[in-house]
Amino acid sequence: MNEKKSNWLNRALAARGVRSVVTATVGFVILFIIFSIMSPSFRSGSNIQNLFRQIAPTLIIGIGQAYVLITGNIDLSIGSVVGMSCMTAGTLMCKGMHPIIACLLTLAASLVVGLLNGTLVAKLKLPSFIATLGTMTLARGLAQLVNNNHNTDFIGNTAQSFRDLLYYGSFLKVFNAVWIAIILWVIFNFLLSKTRTGRHIYAVGSNLDAAKLSGVNSFWTILITYVVSAFCACLTGLILLASAGMGTMDAGTTYEMYAVAAGVIGGISTLGGTGILAGVIAGAGIWGILQNGLQFVGAPVALRNIIIGIIVILAVMLDIVTRTNRKKVKKP
Amino acid sequence: MEKYIVELERIHKSFAGVKVLQDVRFSLKSGEVMALLGENGAGKSTLMKILSGVYTRDSGDMRIFEREQGDLTTKMAQELGIAIIHQELNMCRHLTVAENIFLGRESKKGIILNNKEMVRETTKVLQSLKIDLDPNTVVGELPVSKQQMVEIAKALSIQAKVLVMDEPTSALTSKEIDELFRIIKQLRQDGCGIVYISHRLEELSHLADRVTVLRDGRFIMEGDFNDYTMDQLIAKMVGRDIAEKFPRITCKKGKKILEVKELNSGPLVRDVNLEVCEGEIVGIAGLMGAGRTETTRAIFGIDPKDSGEIILNGKPVAIKKPLDAIKAGIVLAPEDRKKDGLCTKLSVRDNLALPNLDWISGIAGKVNRKKEMELADKAVSELNIKLANLDINAESLSGGNQQKVVIGKWLARDSKVVIFDEPTRGVDVGAKVEIYNLMNKLKQNGTGVVFVSSELPEVMGISDRILVMCDGRITGEIARSEATEDKILTYATEFETKI
Repeated sequence: MNEKKSNWLNRALAARGVRSVVTATVGFVILFIIFSIMSPSFRSGSNIQNLFRQIAPTLIIGIGQAYVLITGNIDLSIGSVVGMSCMTAGTLMCKGMHPIIACLLTLAASLVVGLLNGTLVAKLKLPSFIATLGTMTLARGLAQLVNNNHNTDFIGNTAQSFRDLLYYGSFLKVFNAVWIAIILWVIFNFLLSKTRTGRHIYAVGSNLDAAKLSGVNSFWTILITYVVSAFCACLTGLILLASAGMGTMDAGTTYEMYAVAAGVIGGISTLGGTGILAGVIAGAGIWGILQNGLQFVGAPVALRNIIIGIIVILAVMLDIVTRTNRKKVKKP
Repeated sequence: MEKYIVELERIHKSFAGVKVLQDVRFSLKSGEVMALLGENGAGKSTLMKILSGVYTRDSGDMRIFEREQGDLTTKMAQELGIAIIHQELNMCRHLTVAENIFLGRESKKGIILNNKEMVRETTKVLQSLKIDLDPNTVVGELPVSKQQMVEIAKALSIQAKVLVMDEPTSALTSKEIDELFRIIKQLRQDGCGIVYISHRLEELSHLADRVTVLRDGRFIMEGDFNDYTMDQLIAKMVGRDIAEKFPRITCKKGKKILEVKELNSGPLVRDVNLEVCEGEIVGIAGLMGAGRTETTRAIFGIDPKDSGEIILNGKPVAIKKPLDAIKAGIVLAPEDRKKDGLCTKLSVRDNLALPNLDWISGIAGKVNRKKEMELADKAVSELNIKLANLDINAESLSGGNQQKVVIGKWLARDSKVVIFDEPTRGVDVGAKVEIYNLMNKLKQNGTGVVFVSSELPEVMGISDRILVMCDGRITGEIARSEATEDKILTYATEFETKI
C-alpha cells in the first residue's frame, strides 16, 4: 500500500514537468516572503491587488506561448499582435465605434495573424522561428499603419465603459483583468489536459512523425496552437489599451519573450512535448513579482533587468541539473 | 485454403526521379508469416510504407481483403487493420504507454478524454501479450526493447489483421526475441497475416512460412520458405554468390598495442581489463545491457572514468574526452549511427572530413578543398559506398552505406586501435561482408581491432579472441578455436546476483 502510494506520487511528479512547477511555485512563495519582509508597502493590500493585475497580461500571453512551445514551435509574433490589437481597438474606439464591435473586429484581425502563422509553419513547413519573425515585423507594421503612424487619442471620452470594465472594474477585490486571466487559464488548461486536441498537441511536440503515423492531423493541431496564441495576444492588447487609455504603437514590444520566460520558468521545454499550464502561472508569477517587488525594495531598472535575466537562466539550469541527476539515480 | 488478404501488383514508385520500386508484386495470406528479404535499399521498407499509407504509389494495383484500394492514408490503413512497426521506433517519448497506444484514436466521454478506459484497455492488451509494464510509465524512460513491445501492443490494440514488422529484433536480447516470437506465433494462429522484414536469416527459419525477395527495387522471387536453403536466399538477395559469410584471414599477431587496466565507469563498467595486439581482432560478446557499449564509451573518453588506466604502446595515456583518444590513435565507430555516428543533415563529404579537419585544413583553419575531396573519394571507393554524389545528406543513404561512412571517417587517420560497436546492425548481407573485410584489412595492416557485437555467429566468425561481458564485468575469455555459442552464453549469463 505504502509502495503504491509513493509510486503514485513519483508518477505525478514525473509527469510532464510537474516537478518544475513545484519548484517555481516554491520560488514564488520565497520571493513573496522576502519582499514582504523587506518592504511594508509591498505587502500592502493595494499593492497585492496591483501585483496580480501586473501578472495577468504575462499569464495570458504565457498560455498562448505555452501551447505553441509544447508543439516544439515558437511564436515570436505575440508582442506585435498585442500592439496591433491595442492600436486597432484604440483607433476604432476613438472613431466612436461601439467597444464590443471594435473588440470583435480587433479579434478577427488578430486571429488572421494566428491562422497565417499556423499555415506558414504547419502547411508550408517554414521553421517557426523564421515564420513568426516575419509575422512579428508584419504585425508591428500594421500596428503603425492603423492610425497613420501615430498613437491614438485618449479613448476615455468615447469608450469609458471599456476602460471601466477591463481596467478599473473588480469583483471580490480582484481586478477583472485577473479574472479574465483565470477564466482563460481554466478553459485552456482543460483543453490541453483533458481533450483529444490537447493530447495531440503534446504528441506533435514529442515526435511529429510518430504522431502523423498514428493518424494525428498535425496541421490542424499546430494551427490551433497559433490561433490560441493570437487570441491570447489580442486580449492582452485590449487590456493594455484599457489600462493606458490610449493605443500605443509600441505596446507589447518584447512580450513574446516574457511569454517564453514565463513558460520556461514554469518548466515548459522549448523543445516541445513537456510542460503543463500550471507552470505558466508560476512562471508569470515569478516574472511579475520580480518586476513589482524589486521596484519596492528600491532596485534601479538596470539592476532589475539583470536580476530577472539571471533568474531565467538559473531556472533553466536548475531544470537541466535535476533532470540529469534523476537519470543518474535511475541506473541500477 | 487461406485467403489472400493483401495483393499488390505492378507497383511502381520513384522519389525525385529515382526509381525505388519497379513492377513489384507481393501477396500475403491470413495466418502466415511472410518473410520479406532484400539488401538495404532493395525497396522493402518503401513497399511496406505504401501498404500502410505512409507513401502513395505512382501506379499499380492494391487489393486488400479482396477489395481494390486507391491511395491510402495512414489513418485509412489503420482502419483497414494494417499496422506497421517501423524500423526506427515511432513513439512519443514524453507520453505514457497508454497515451502512445491510443494516440490518434483516444477514447472519450463527451469531449473529455477517458483516461481510465484507455489505461484499462492497455492493461488488457499488455496482459494478453504477457508484457509486464505499467500503462502509466512514460515511454522515454523505458529501454528500447520495452518500447518495441509497446509498439507491438499498439499495433494489436487496433485489431490489426495485417502486421508489418521492419527489423523488429535488431535491438532485442535473445530472451526478448523468444518472447516476440511467441507473440508472433500466437498472432499467426489467430489468423493475422504477418510481414516480417529482417536481415537475420537464422531467426527467420523458426518463423517464416513464405518468402518474397526484392533486389534493387524489383521483384525477384516468391515461394515457400522451407524450399530454399540460406545460401540460395542470400544469392537471390545479393544477385551473386557470397563465397564466405565470415571471411577471415590469418596474419601474424604483433606486439601488445592497447591495454586497459581495472577500468571502472558507472555501474556497467566494472574492473574491466583487456588487451589488444597489433593484427588482432578482439570480439566482445554479451547480452544487451552487459556494458559493452559503455566500455567502449569509457575507453574513448565519452563517459567519465571512475578509475583505471589505458596504456597505448606501453605508455599510459590520459583520455578525458574523445579528442584525447583520437589524438592518441584510438577511434570508435559507435553503435547508434544516426545519433552518435553521423551528422545526418550534413553531406557525406562533410561527415567524412569532420574528424580529419585538423590535418586537411591549412593556414587560419581554411579547409583544403583538394585534400578534402581526395579524402572523401578515397573513402568512397575503398569502402564501396554507393551514392549519387558526395554532396547528398548522410541521412538519405541506406543503413549499410551510412555505416560505411561512419567507418570511413576514421580510415584516413592512421589509427592504432579501431573500436567497432555493432557495425553490422541493420546492415544487409552484402554490406556485412564488406565491413568484415574492412576489419580484416585493418588487422592485416597491424591495427588493433575491437569488435563489439550481439550476433554470436559473426563474433565467432571474425574475432581472433572473444571476451564475454555480463553485468559490467568481463566474465570470460575464449580463444577462437574453442568458441561455441553455448560457452559464450554461459559466460554471458554469469550474473553475480540473480535478478
